[in-house]
Amino acid sequence: MTTLIKLEIVRALRNKKFMFFSVIYPPVLYLIIAGGADNSPIPGMKLNMALYYMVAMSAFGAMTAVLIGNSEAIAKEREKGWVRQLRLTALPGRGYVAAKMASAATVSLPSIVLVMLVGAMVKGVRLEAWQWIAIPVGTWLGSFVFAALGVAIGYLASGDAVRPIAMMVYFVLAFLGGLWMPLTILPQWVQNIAEWLPTHAYAALGTAVEAGGAPHVKDVAILVGYLIVFAGGAAWLYRKDTRTA
Amino acid sequence: MTSTATTSPPATGRRTGAAPVVSFRKVSKNYGSVKAVADLDLELYPGETVALLGPNGAGKSSTLDLLLGLRNADTGSVSLFGTTPQRAIEQGKVGAMLQSGGLMGGVKVRELVRLAADLHPHAYPVDRILDTAGITEIADRMVDKLSGGQEQRVRFALATAGANDLIVLDEPTTGMDVSSRQTFWGTMRAQAQQGRTVLFATHYLEEADEIADRVIVLHRGRVLADGTSAEIKARAGARRVTFDLDGPADREALRGLPSLTSLEVSGRTVRIQSQDADATVHAVYGLGLYPRNLEVAGLGLEQAFIAITDAATAEEAAR
Repeated sequence: MTTLIKLEIVRALRNKKFMFFSVIYPPVLYLIIAGGADNSPIPGMKLNMALYYMVAMSAFGAMTAVLIGNSEAIAKEREKGWVRQLRLTALPGRGYVAAKMASAATVSLPSIVLVMLVGAMVKGVRLEAWQWIAIPVGTWLGSFVFAALGVAIGYLASGDAVRPIAMMVYFVLAFLGGLWMPLTILPQWVQNIAEWLPTHAYAALGTAVEAGGAPHVKDVAILVGYLIVFAGGAAWLYRKDTRTA
Repeated sequence: MTSTATTSPPATGRRTGAAPVVSFRKVSKNYGSVKAVADLDLELYPGETVALLGPNGAGKSSTLDLLLGLRNADTGSVSLFGTTPQRAIEQGKVGAMLQSGGLMGGVKVRELVRLAADLHPHAYPVDRILDTAGITEIADRMVDKLSGGQEQRVRFALATAGANDLIVLDEPTTGMDVSSRQTFWGTMRAQAQQGRTVLFATHYLEEADEIADRVIVLHRGRVLADGTSAEIKARAGARRVTFDLDGPADREALRGLPSLTSLEVSGRTVRIQSQDADATVHAVYGLGLYPRNLEVAGLGLEQAFIAITDAATAEEAAR
């Protein structure tokens, strides 16, 4: 099982094109969206735009790489029949999911770090030392939830349907989670729903640290809950995949 | 020819009295309205080398998928070593090489083989697996850059990464040239000699004839014939008798010949399939005929196979 995890990481590092764009995309997007933003505070929040978007975009970028990347890679591997071959080994379902999450995490970590660097060097974001460590670590760990969701989507959909389905899930989650714009500008009822989404809890991890506090227990619990559901579902789907491909 | 549609007891394995390695009991699998596997009963015993033959769409791949637990049966039960296919695989008892089994991309051959070894409960050393499969020279190549035949050998390496009791191969030599095909079957024979059960589906009838000690002919998801290749040939009419006559052939008289399984007359040329060529030829002379250019030849497994499946198709059409 550890061999598979190592091999998936090696593969991710070898896939230079995917790696390059996955890593470059979030900081570029950050510069575009928060490019004109100054240090004026966001209504209803204690944060300013540059800081808010630094965390939101690192989360968004990590989520893009792991959710879209994983779901498409898995659907492709199913089509090629590699997953069938793998199912003829003693590999447990959790081993497969763990390996896929490890490969996704390999891609998401540098993208998160890069957004942080751009934030500090280009946008002049200033934070305490512990915050510079806590934000990327939290964002990175949180991305595991979406990596697991990516595996599950890669199993639920097949062939051409994967991309549109993954995109839809991704845009809805990103928007309602407040990764594109602060939720405080949306109606209250949307905010009430959004509160329970994994993306909202994910962004809230970083936001809480930015504001100088620890992440809320509720947000961590929501993320852990989703992680269990997504990873468990993905492992179950891996073992139960008795359809073609 | 009606007798070809009934099954005879298998020639090997059952005699040893050992518990079956594979057991299908009344297994059916439908895809929509298509019956891929219909009420299949099948048992394989330790040490058998079994060929699964059948025309396209006969249910070979579906049968192997069910056997390996890649699909679930609609009705009936499949067991391997007295347990479920999944458990047997987890215990490292089964190695399989699938036609549809793709390889992981972006890795080297050696890395992939190391992975297979790591996942197998009773794995062989990586170098030995590479050597057995004949892929030591290509061990450092990327999997994505292999030829079809090389890919097949890598698949074979994955299927034999550890000490399996049952090896399942779906069209294993597709894409291999003649010499690698021979090497492949040499390796496979060695595996069988160590007491392993080998089950393979193939399109190449000569492979079944040469390698298998038991041949199972599938047709529309059912077992049509099950025995040694000699028995299957005998079932279809063991010998072919061909001759020319001086005058027009009397079909009625020829049809009365003993041991006849099929008769074909075109002009003055007569083609006969017979269970007992000696008796048939003797009776031809007995009719007062003088056969010219007389030829008596054994029926290949291929012709036997065609004869058996054609007869079954004709019988179904007649119903």
